[in-house]
Amino acid sequence: MLLPVFTLKLRHKIIPRMVAVGRYDGTHPCLTAATQAGKVFIHNPHLRSHYSSASRVSQSPLESDVSLLNINQAVSCLTAGVLNPDIGCDSLLVGTQTNLLAYDVHNNSDLFYREAIDGANAVVLGTLGDISSPLAIIGGNCALQGFDHEGNDLFWTVTGDNVRSLALCDFDGDGKKELLVGSEDFDIRVFKEDEIVAEMTETEVITSLCPVYGSRFGYALSNGTVGVYDKAARYWRIKSKNHAMSIHAFDLNNDGVCELVTGWSNGKVDARSDRTGEVIFKDNFSSAIAGVVEGDYRMDGHTQLICCSVDGEIRGYLPGMAELRGNFMDPTAEQEQIRELSQKKQNLLLELRNYEENSKMALNSPLNETDGHRGVIPANTRIHTTLSVNLGNEAQAAHAELCISTSNDTIIRAVLIFAEGIFLGESHVVHPSIHSLSSSVYIPITPPKDVPVDLYLKTFVGYRSSTQFHVFELTRQLPRFCMYALINPDSATEPVSYVNFIIAERAQRVVTWLNQNFLLPDDINTQNAPFQVCFTSLRNGGQLFIKTKPNGEITINTDDIDLAGDIIQSMASFFAIEDLQVEANFPLYFEELRKVLIKVDEYHSVHQKLSADMADNSNLIRSLLVRAEDARLMRDMKTMKSRYMELYDLNKDLLNGYKIRCNNHTELLGNLKAVNQAIQRAGRLRVGRPKNQVISACRDAIRSNNINTLFRIMRVGTASS
Amino acid sequence: MELTLNRADYVQVGVTSQKTMKLLPASRNRATQKVVLGDHDGVVTCFGMKKGEAVAVFKTLPGQKIARLELGGTLHMPQEKIFIATGSEIRGFTKRGKQFLSFETNLTESIKAMHVSGSDLFLSASYIYNHYCDCKDQHYYLSGDKINDVICLPVERVPHITPVLACQDRVLRVLQGSDVIYEIEVPGPPTVLALHNGNGGDSGEDLLFGTSDGKLGLIQITASKPIHKWEIQNEKKRGGILCVDNFDIVGDGVKDLIVGRDDGMVEVYSFDHANEPVLRFDQTLSESVTSIQGGCVGKDGYDEIVASTYSGWVTGLTTEPIHKESGPGEELKINQEMQSKISSLRSELEHIQYKVLQEREKYQQSSQSSKAKSAVPSFSVNDKFTLNKDDASYSLVLEVQTSIDTVLIQSDVPIDLLDVDKNSAVVSFSSCDSESNDNFLLATYRCQTNTTRLELKIRSIEGQYGTLQAYVTPRIQPKTCQVRQYLIKPLSLHQRIHFIDHDRPMNTLTLAGQFSFAEIHSWVVFCLPEVPEKPPAGECVTFYFQNTFLDTQLESTYRKGEGVFKSDNISTISILKDVLSKEATKKKINLNISYEINEVSVKHTLKLIHPKLEYQLLLAKKVQLIDALKELQIHEGNTNFLIPEYRSILEEADHLQEEYKKQPAHLERLYGMITDLFIDKFKFKGTNVKTKVPLLLEILDSYDQNALIAFFDAT
Repeated sequence: MLLPVFTLKLRHKIIPRMVAVGRYDGTHPCLTAATQAGKVFIHNPHLRSHYSSASRVSQSPLESDVSLLNINQAVSCLTAGVLNPDIGCDSLLVGTQTNLLAYDVHNNSDLFYREAIDGANAVVLGTLGDISSPLAIIGGNCALQGFDHEGNDLFWTVTGDNVRSLALCDFDGDGKKELLVGSEDFDIRVFKEDEIVAEMTETEVITSLCPVYGSRFGYALSNGTVGVYDKAARYWRIKSKNHAMSIHAFDLNNDGVCELVTGWSNGKVDARSDRTGEVIFKDNFSSAIAGVVEGDYRMDGHTQLICCSVDGEIRGYLPGMAELRGNFMDPTAEQEQIRELSQKKQNLLLELRNYEENSKMALNSPLNETDGHRGVIPANTRIHTTLSVNLGNEAQAAHAELCISTSNDTIIRAVLIFAEGIFLGESHVVHPSIHSLSSSVYIPITPPKDVPVDLYLKTFVGYRSSTQFHVFELTRQLPRFCMYALINPDSATEPVSYVNFIIAERAQRVVTWLNQNFLLPDDINTQNAPFQVCFTSLRNGGQLFIKTKPNGEITINTDDIDLAGDIIQSMASFFAIEDLQVEANFPLYFEELRKVLIKVDEYHSVHQKLSADMADNSNLIRSLLVRAEDARLMRDMKTMKSRYMELYDLNKDLLNGYKIRCNNHTELLGNLKAVNQAIQRAGRLRVGRPKNQVISACRDAIRSNNINTLFRIMRVGTASS
Repeated sequence: MELTLNRADYVQVGVTSQKTMKLLPASRNRATQKVVLGDHDGVVTCFGMKKGEAVAVFKTLPGQKIARLELGGTLHMPQEKIFIATGSEIRGFTKRGKQFLSFETNLTESIKAMHVSGSDLFLSASYIYNHYCDCKDQHYYLSGDKINDVICLPVERVPHITPVLACQDRVLRVLQGSDVIYEIEVPGPPTVLALHNGNGGDSGEDLLFGTSDGKLGLIQITASKPIHKWEIQNEKKRGGILCVDNFDIVGDGVKDLIVGRDDGMVEVYSFDHANEPVLRFDQTLSESVTSIQGGCVGKDGYDEIVASTYSGWVTGLTTEPIHKESGPGEELKINQEMQSKISSLRSELEHIQYKVLQEREKYQQSSQSSKAKSAVPSFSVNDKFTLNKDDASYSLVLEVQTSIDTVLIQSDVPIDLLDVDKNSAVVSFSSCDSESNDNFLLATYRCQTNTTRLELKIRSIEGQYGTLQAYVTPRIQPKTCQVRQYLIKPLSLHQRIHFIDHDRPMNTLTLAGQFSFAEIHSWVVFCLPEVPEKPPAGECVTFYFQNTFLDTQLESTYRKGEGVFKSDNISTISILKDVLSKEATKKKINLNISYEINEVSVKHTLKLIHPKLEYQLLLAKKVQLIDALKELQIHEGNTNFLIPEYRSILEEADHLQEEYKKQPAHLERLYGMITDLFIDKFKFKGTNVKTKVPLLLEILDSYDQNALIAFFDAT
């Protein structure tokens, strides 16, 4: 059993995920965490603090070895580490929704204070790819930005949605770090500098990422899932009803390989083997875990695992000795093992008994009433499933439909579908009322996104009066584009927007792709190009045309730029296309984007004006206050009163101004997000190198504020015509 | 002195019932004892431990499920004869496994509880109690509610034969011959009885009881009246008590109290100077502890607690240290022992696995034939659906002998499913789009591996009734699932009590019509929990109930052709009226319903609610302030500047937050009940006041007792 080597109880709350350990003077590690009221506390037990009452730092009134750093704004991310290799000590980085502060704690000075218009939801510190100096990379609303120690903006790119987690990890094993980005659209993207090299779709918002070992990295989702990826393949994952607050890789059993340590919302901490996910150590705190970090906190040359709870309880663990290996859980591991084996034996014996009883029953007379009650069904009962498209009626919107039926007179009591991302929870239940039980069940399915989904079905089969049912377990895959119904091209109008590209594939292969990715009433058998198919979306009724020409040219007509992107990405992976240049035209979308860009400009100017107003007002306040106090000293109560009244009014104005500024800011953020997403979407229409070219070219165009070039890039893929 | 006990698993048999494991008396002091237990397969197993290996002494052939196992023998001699109750039969075995008795009692129900004392045999089926002496029928008693356990004070120490019945209606019935001398009300439905110290204590009259809601108590049963000695409340919200024993495990010369609960908790209480129990040790075994006894099994010289669990594990919690202080070679040996045990188990497993694979194939093949049937025998599910008095919610406990895969919960009434900290299953709620399917709740619990027990908490609303169904699928091939149904009754939050406050202002509902006693009883059973299904003896019966949430009361008296229901809560009467008339219409019985509404009762009920509501409002307010106050504290460094009220909030912050968390939606529930009260009050007057409900909610938002009462009066 592994016991903590130290425990501390700080009287400060710790905000989850915002904990770091830094050696701000180069030698003494200090635990740093964000706490309430826009403050950051620094726990420095090794040095009596010598901070004078400087601008930012103040001594905590609660504890002598804790100093508080006033940020005056809700902290949204925090980390510590080497930002400037020349000064030989760690810097503290604190991000808020509007700014990023790099702070030299030891010298009590700002390294830089930069405005981050996209906000900073996550921050990571380290070297990225070939960029020589360490970068502080922040992730905000769809955007990623990297700063060096002088505050120079050396890295900038966009991603699909709001960033929630960041990590640096040598993903492809080339000795250089790649950036892992987890965002709110459930995707983990891997950036090799500003090029996306991999994308993994998860089932929920990715809340944490951490490098584990080599190309392995851990991740945590907002639905309680924790797991490990090796490159783009998932190694293992587990799901708990609690939420993973913080994950960290640490070699707790001294076997040379880091384990994934998770801090949970119910106060549990567990360490899991990176290979299997097996728990090798666990401990419990009385409140939720806020962060898991590591550091040589006792300064004895050994690194400890440090776990902090939201209530300020801190425990440090030393890695176990080698001979203790695999023995953390319980001193009676063998007992455990025997128990497990006996349980297994008992289960097998039970199964054996089931078969015995079954064969005994089979000898009896044919089915009768009591048999049905006890859940006896014909042995040759089969379950059939079919997926089709239902165009809906007045009562029900159009949907994809799963039909499950039995092969005889048995009934389906209930169906459980486990699938990720398409239902409210992880499962969907169909439980017909007792009066409408039958041998078939129709289940409407409306996946919100175009992703392929595995449906794990559990069907309870029996008779009307049964109290015990047979459970049939099946797996069906829902095709990626199941929400599109095949229609007659003559009755449809072709959308004006299109993408156009050439692939070197035979027509049959395209047909195979169609058959696999759409729910078609019958498989298409066309052998030769040219041909065209036409679909309508079950979500919004939009049309989709896919046309091929004999020369391999494919044109996709749709007004939905996301759908076009999805189709291209799906084709690219099906045909193993590495690079694909595409010509695209989405006049409606482009028009909207143009409006957004104009709005962004407007909001920017409003923002500047408001800031100027605020500065004026604060000057006014200062003078009013002085004059009011003067009046007080002169015992001119009347003037003093009127001054204070003015001050009061001005204060009200300021508050109103602040509200306007806030609204303006959220609007601005929303629009900036739309712009960032547009770039991302334009990228998704291409594959490989052209994709990265588009993104970087778009970025340059936005920087130079050249809207027309931006649209040309989005259309043809390059800036030069 | 701290008590440390180490766990050692001995053997696993089939599923076991309550009180079916005993230790045979040892030949000499602290020598190893043999364990004997009976399971649901009807097998009696007797084994001893030799060098860490379980060695069977005997094993009987399978038969009917064994409900109880007791030891007996001639008085004042070692009690080493084994008696089992299976079906309606009692069998006796010697300690060598030879059957010497087979006694068919000819009871119509199967035996549920048994006590053996010399040549006296005390048996009880669900409602019937029988006393036999030398297998000859002596006395008989028909109980009003289910009998959970039976015991007799030691005949050699007490002048009369005094059997005691533990009945489901929260009463211990003390008998003499075939008559009840007196009844003792206990705080919960008693599930187990035991003689204190194994012999009834100093007087021979001390009796321990445990309840299904986890309370324990000691009562002295004197010839004329009971004397309550002590009671232990269930503050930690642990499971119900299934078994108790007295054994000196601490080693201080005083026998300690050992308790096994249905959530797997094993507890040891020792007695302080005032003879009050103090908790000394607890450990969880993760599944129901069905029987428990102190003794010595694993190694002679080391005392231990032996427990059997629901799925048939016999586990020892021993004082024997795991790591011996002897030389390093010794440890290695133990390790080797373990290793050889593991490897033998492994090879055994492989063998079975092979067999299973063959059978599996056969089963697959049989599915090709059109004539064959697939009949998988039912697995046993141990379930419990009980009302918790403390937070007026139901808890549903499901336990299966193997690990559970998924549980599907379906309900055709609106209920809330609450999170239980203990269970680790991932819950997901499914949308219940079409009301035509009668689904108000569809939820799946996907259990983590090795979960054999699942606990759920359910909050019901009075007046809304229907059925809750649980589909339990264990992780075993071929996969099957079993449905369990639980009734949510119209007055689901009511609990039986035995005394009622007659001074309260009461509203009365009177039914008259052509119905039989059995019919009206069945309606009462339909409406109220904790009423025995069997119509009680006699012509007229009275039951008292209390609303666990509001503490209002209900008195129901009925006979053939007439029923009178009195309650101080108008809503209760309203619900009863609606349900009873509906039930009667279903049976096409013409009912004459009359009611008498007491205006004062509404005010009275509001006054009952007032302290609860006020407490909740204050609590909510305080909890809201905590964060802000804490921030101030950090800013200022001390709390001297705060007014005492705020300082006390800060001091009690943790406690307040805990209290607040414990009762989620408590305020909303109170609001709901006040609204019901309001609507019902005017319903009886014949006016519909639904339009005024928003106004009422407004008044509740800025709660003031007088304003509320005035509003009730004014409208």
